[in-house]
Amino acid sequence: MRAFVAMLGIGLTLSAVSGAQAYHRFWANCNYEAPTFMTTMTRDAGQDYANAARYEGYQWGGGCWNYDDVDSYPNDPPQETGTHGEGGDCSGLTFKTWRESTDNWRDGRYYWRALRNVHGPYTAADFRTGYGAPNHTVAKATAGVMDAFASSTHIGMVFVRSLYGGDQIVEAKCETCGTNIFYRTYRSDSAYGGVGRWGWTG
Amino acid sequence: MRRPRFRSLAGGAAGIAAGVIGGVVLTSASTAGPTPAAAAPPLIDATHVPPVLTLRGEPIRLRYGLVCTPRDDSLPCDGSGTAYLRAGQTGAFRPYPLERGDESKEGRYFLDVPAAVAESPDGFSYYAVLRDDASGATVSIPSGGADAPQVSRPLDSPVTVELGRHSFGETRAPSGRAADAPWGSGAENVGLAGSRELGFTGPSSFDVEPDGTVDLLDSVNGRILRWSHGRREEVPMGRPAELADVAAEPDGSFDVLDAHDTLRRYRADGSEQWAQKLADRTWAKLDRGADVLQEPSEQWMPLAETAGPLTRAEQRRAAHTEQHALLVDRVGDGELRIARLRGKAPLRSWRITSGTALGEVQLAEPHGNDVVVVTHAYTDDRDEFVVLVLGDRGVAQRFSVASNSWTETAPLARFRLARGALYRLRTTPAGAFVDRFDLEVPQ
Repeated sequence: MRAFVAMLGIGLTLSAVSGAQAYHRFWANCNYEAPTFMTTMTRDAGQDYANAARYEGYQWGGGCWNYDDVDSYPNDPPQETGTHGEGGDCSGLTFKTWRESTDNWRDGRYYWRALRNVHGPYTAADFRTGYGAPNHTVAKATAGVMDAFASSTHIGMVFVRSLYGGDQIVEAKCETCGTNIFYRTYRSDSAYGGVGRWGWTG
Repeated sequence: MRRPRFRSLAGGAAGIAAGVIGGVVLTSASTAGPTPAAAAPPLIDATHVPPVLTLRGEPIRLRYGLVCTPRDDSLPCDGSGTAYLRAGQTGAFRPYPLERGDESKEGRYFLDVPAAVAESPDGFSYYAVLRDDASGATVSIPSGGADAPQVSRPLDSPVTVELGRHSFGETRAPSGRAADAPWGSGAENVGLAGSRELGFTGPSSFDVEPDGTVDLLDSVNGRILRWSHGRREEVPMGRPAELADVAAEPDGSFDVLDAHDTLRRYRADGSEQWAQKLADRTWAKLDRGADVLQEPSEQWMPLAETAGPLTRAEQRRAAHTEQHALLVDRVGDGELRIARLRGKAPLRSWRITSGTALGEVQLAEPHGNDVVVVTHAYTDDRDEFVVLVLGDRGVAQRFSVASNSWTETAPLARFRLARGALYRLRTTPAGAFVDRFDLEVPQ
């Protein structure tokens, strides 16, 4: 019995080693169901979708979140996909909000639910150049709701233009600041270009 | 050493197995916590860009966006709304139903303001309530509703300023350097974080006090760096403040507004005095007196009074559109309207047009009888700040300032006006510095 008790403790200790890994298992809640092909895609429905991802966190290479307004695993080490935390990264949030396909030659509309774990094939730099059939560049001065501004390292979507000439941007920004709507001046920053999604229906 | 018996070995193995299994089960139970939330309250939000300054005879359309919980069919909200308008700034509001349009790029819900209201000599004031008809949830914009409505005022005989096309590459050199620090975490340094892939962040904001003291928010190292009368000091705050804004208060305290929409007041020694959440969801700029430009209301809201922080409801009720007795309205791609108030009446106003697109207004403040404005001229691949000193006859002084900075800052925190000079925060691969641009003495 003493041996059992002693080894029970060791076993629990061993399980805690794997428990450190379990800290990063938000993805266990995610799914891989097929997207729904849609014939419509309005900009304000895009606002609804991106707005609902607010407060749900940031995950480098991620694209899976729920709707409880809490980042289940905040402050993970940056630039590590293996942390498997909650939230999208900047390009993953844009990909899902813009209802894009994982095939970059398809320009149809594919609705991914929040818990569907998908990042999509594009980096911020890809979006910046308008790479992929559904994407294109736009003049920054004309960018409106649910168009985006992208640099070589980041992309954020226009939630709405603002009175003082900046923009409210919905974006997955960083591990410490998560996904939210922030006031930004990307529009006038030459590091950023304007990008858009073909196929809005209203 | 005694040879282990079979029973001991078996007991030990069973113990390890039971421990591992038990641990995994417990861990799984704890990590299964963040399950999909099914019973969250309905989301609702609204967007609106107020026509703060209008031209006589200009048709005025109020546009609103309505944002709701995503629908299962992925269609937009099934919504409706009412705008409440009144001529002038006092009296009863009258309701007008919003129309629902086919396009949402500028806001799906709209109202063409009736001429009788739009043409009022004192302008008009208004608010709107939008409703998600599926959930019944409503949202008021601005968030103070009838207690702190949005205002729209006509420009009376504005001074017209035509900037023409911006000439890039003709920037003015600073008059002097007020502060500088190389990257690092030591006493003489300012912090740098990030990577080439993520981008870099450094000091995200600064302030200049009336006596010339420069306060730099060392966001990464969680402290304020002060350059005062030839001495340099540091005030530790005990926490990082990435992409936060800062304002120095006259009593020596500091206000720091962070990326999580919380304003913290620190005493002069860096100890935290209080913290308060913003009333609205997004901030654009922090000003002295704990005044914050908040979105979606597009209004300045005070977060504190002498007795301490204001509740969120109190912030909403105290919201105001003017700041430093100025109204600011960036219109379209390249137009900027400014009005200086005397009481409730516009004293002077300027209509500034540019052949090059204009971005954000970084700063708009009185400078004697003049007004200093810093805005941002840009094309798709170039940008520079434009400094305008506006006087009775138009532009009294104008120059360009280089915009490129190596790290990201708070959005409207690049410039401060103090002691008759303009100060600019800038970073390079070597470090951060604050430059001074002397302005001509106002008439």
